[in-house]
Amino acid sequence: MSYIGAEVIISPLGETTEENWRALSENRSGITKVNAAGYNDENLFLGSIQNHAAESRFTALTIRALSQIAEKIDRNVLSSERTIVILSSTKGALDVNVTDQFQSPAAMLVEEFKLANQPVVISNACISGVLAINVAGNLVKNKIYDHAVVIGCDVISDFVVYGFQSLFAISDQPCKPFDAARNGITLGEGCGAVVVSAEKSIFSESPLHLLTGSSANDANHISGPSRTGEGLFRSIGKTLNANQISGEEIDFISAHGTATVFNDEMEAIAFDRAGLSHIPLNSLKGYFGHTLGAAGVIETVASMQMMRNSTLLKSVGFGETGTSRSLNIITENRQKELNTVLKTASGFGGGNASLIIRSL
Amino acid sequence: MDNLKEDLKKQIIEQLNLEDITPADIADDALLFNDSGLGLDSIDALELIVLLEKYHGIQVTNPDEGKDAFKTINTMAAYVQKRKG
Amino acid sequence: MSFITAYCHLRENVCSVNGELVATLDKSSEDAWFKQIYKAQEFVYPKFYKMDTLSQAGYLASELIKRAAPYIVNDYADDEIALIFANKSSSADTDLRFINSYEHNGAPSPSLFVYTLPNIVLGEIAILNKWYGENMFAVLPKFTPDFFLTHTQILFSTGSKTALCGWLEILGDKIHAFLFLIEQAGTGKPELNIENLSNIAGPEIIHN
Repeated sequence: MSYIGAEVIISPLGETTEENWRALSENRSGITKVNAAGYNDENLFLGSIQNHAAESRFTALTIRALSQIAEKIDRNVLSSERTIVILSSTKGALDVNVTDQFQSPAAMLVEEFKLANQPVVISNACISGVLAINVAGNLVKNKIYDHAVVIGCDVISDFVVYGFQSLFAISDQPCKPFDAARNGITLGEGCGAVVVSAEKSIFSESPLHLLTGSSANDANHISGPSRTGEGLFRSIGKTLNANQISGEEIDFISAHGTATVFNDEMEAIAFDRAGLSHIPLNSLKGYFGHTLGAAGVIETVASMQMMRNSTLLKSVGFGETGTSRSLNIITENRQKELNTVLKTASGFGGGNASLIIRSL
Repeated sequence: MDNLKEDLKKQIIEQLNLEDITPADIADDALLFNDSGLGLDSIDALELIVLLEKYHGIQVTNPDEGKDAFKTINTMAAYVQKRKG
Repeated sequence: MSFITAYCHLRENVCSVNGELVATLDKSSEDAWFKQIYKAQEFVYPKFYKMDTLSQAGYLASELIKRAAPYIVNDYADDEIALIFANKSSSADTDLRFINSYEHNGAPSPSLFVYTLPNIVLGEIAILNKWYGENMFAVLPKFTPDFFLTHTQILFSTGSKTALCGWLEILGDKIHAFLFLIEQAGTGKPELNIENLSNIAGPEIIHN
C-alpha cells in the first residue's frame, strides 16, 4: 500500500496549494496575454508566473516546492537514506545552461535539503509527471525506498515557445480543451510536488492512496497523436486491471486535454473505447496552461484537492463538444464525493501514462 | 520558372536533410507527400513553411494553406510566383 | 533471476555487438559515422535520415541487438518489451541545434524541435517495432548499473517480460551508447547483477 499526500502547487494561480485551490474553486485562470513573447514578437497567451526571480527559475521553484513539502511531513524524512527525490521535467534549467539542464539543479536540492540520495530525473515529455509518480509508487511498493518525493517542474522559455510556434501548435486564444473551437495549446509554467510513502504517519494531513499505474507507447508517430488512442487505451486498461478496479468505480477523470485538435480527439476515442466516456472529466489546462513535465504532477495535486474538497471542477475553456465521441465534460463546479480518480497523460514520443488515486 | 523549380528542389533537399537524393531525382509532378514520391510527413510540411520564409520571404500563417501548395514542385513553384506577385 | 542476453556498444569510432566488432569509423568516407554503419549493415529505413543523433544511435544499436537476438520479435507480445533508457545530457545535442536554427538560421526548425526531448528515441524504437510496452527515460549524473537493476526488476513485477535498456549519451563529438537486452531466461548468458553489468558496460562508461 502506498500513500500519497503533502501535495504542493506553485503556479500563476498562487504560491501555495491553498491559494491555488481558492483560484481553482473560483474558476480563475492563470493564463494572461504576454506582449511580444513570440518569435516574431507576437503577443501570446501564456500561463506565466509573475514576479519570480529572473535567473535559475527552475531551481528556485523546485527549492520553494521542497521547502513547502518539508513543512507537511515528518522532519526526518527528507534527509533520510530511505527517501528518494524524483524530478519530473522536460527542459529543466535549459534557460540557464543547455548542456546542464538537470544535474546542477539536482545538486542544489541535495545541498539545500541534505538529501541522502542523488535525485533521479524522469524526462519523458508530457507524461513525465504521471510516470514519475508511478515510478515513486513502484519504488515504495517494492521497498527500494520508504518514501519518494516527486517534484514536477518546467518553466517557460523562448526555446519551448518558439518550438511550439514552429509546430503551429499555440492557440491564439486561452486554450479550450475538448471544445469545438480549440486550436492549440497555451504554454504554462509551474511546479507541483507530492510525497509517496509506505508510512501514513509521516504526513501531517491525512494522505490518500496511490494505486500505481502504467505507461504504454502508441507506436504510431513521434509528434502526432494516435488516430485510435491505442496507447492511452492500453495504459488505462493495464492500470485498471493491475489494481482490480472497474471503470464503474471511477468517479472522475483528470484528462490530459492539451486543446490541440488531434490530441483531444485521440483522448476522446481512447476514453470511449475504455467505456469511460460517461464519467465526469476535465482538463486543467484552461487554468494552468500546459506545464509540460510538471503537468502530470500539478494536475494530480489538483485532483487530490478536488477529492479533499469533494468538488468536481469545471473544465475551463470548454463550451461545445468538439470531438467525434462525446465525453462527460464538467461545465460547472459541483459538490460530489470523489473516492476514486483516474489521472492520464499523453505526449510526444508516443507516450501515455495513467494512475489512480483513492480516498482512504 | 524552371530555375525556380530547380532552386526549390535544392532548397528542399537542404532544408529537409534528404540524404542520397539529388534534384534530378525529384520529378516536377511527383507527389511530395506520397510514398511513391518523396514520402514527406506533417513535420516536413512545417519545415517547407520555414523554407518559404527563409529563401523566398513568404510568410505562411495558416499551415492548411501549405497543403495544396506543397503537393508537387509544380504547385509549389506556382504558389511562390503567385505570392511574390 | 534475469540475464544480459545481448548488448551493443557504439562509440566515436567503433561499434560492437556482444563484444565483437561490427564497424570501425572510416575517416576517409564522405558519410557521417552513423550513416557509415547504416549503409554497411544494409539497413533499410529511410526515416533514419530524418532522425537526430540520439535516435540514430538508438535505432542502430537496437537493430543490431535484434539481429543478435532475432527471436525477441516473435517470442514476446507487443506490450511485453519495456524500454528503459538513461543518459547524462538529455537531448542537449539537438537542443543546441534547435537554438541555432532560430538564433542563426532564420527560423525555429520544427523538425529539430520534435527531437528536443530525450524520450523521442524510445518513440522511434516503439514505432519501428510496433512495441506498445512501458517506456522510461531518466537523466542521471552517470551510468549507474543499480538504476537498471532496480527498474527492470520493477517492470518485470508489473507485466513486462523483457527490457531493452540503454545508456545513450551524445553531446558534440562525444558518443557513448550502450544498449543491452535483459531477459528472464538466458542459458549460458551472464546473470544480471552489478558486477556483470559493470564489466560488460566497460570501464570507460563507468568512470566517465
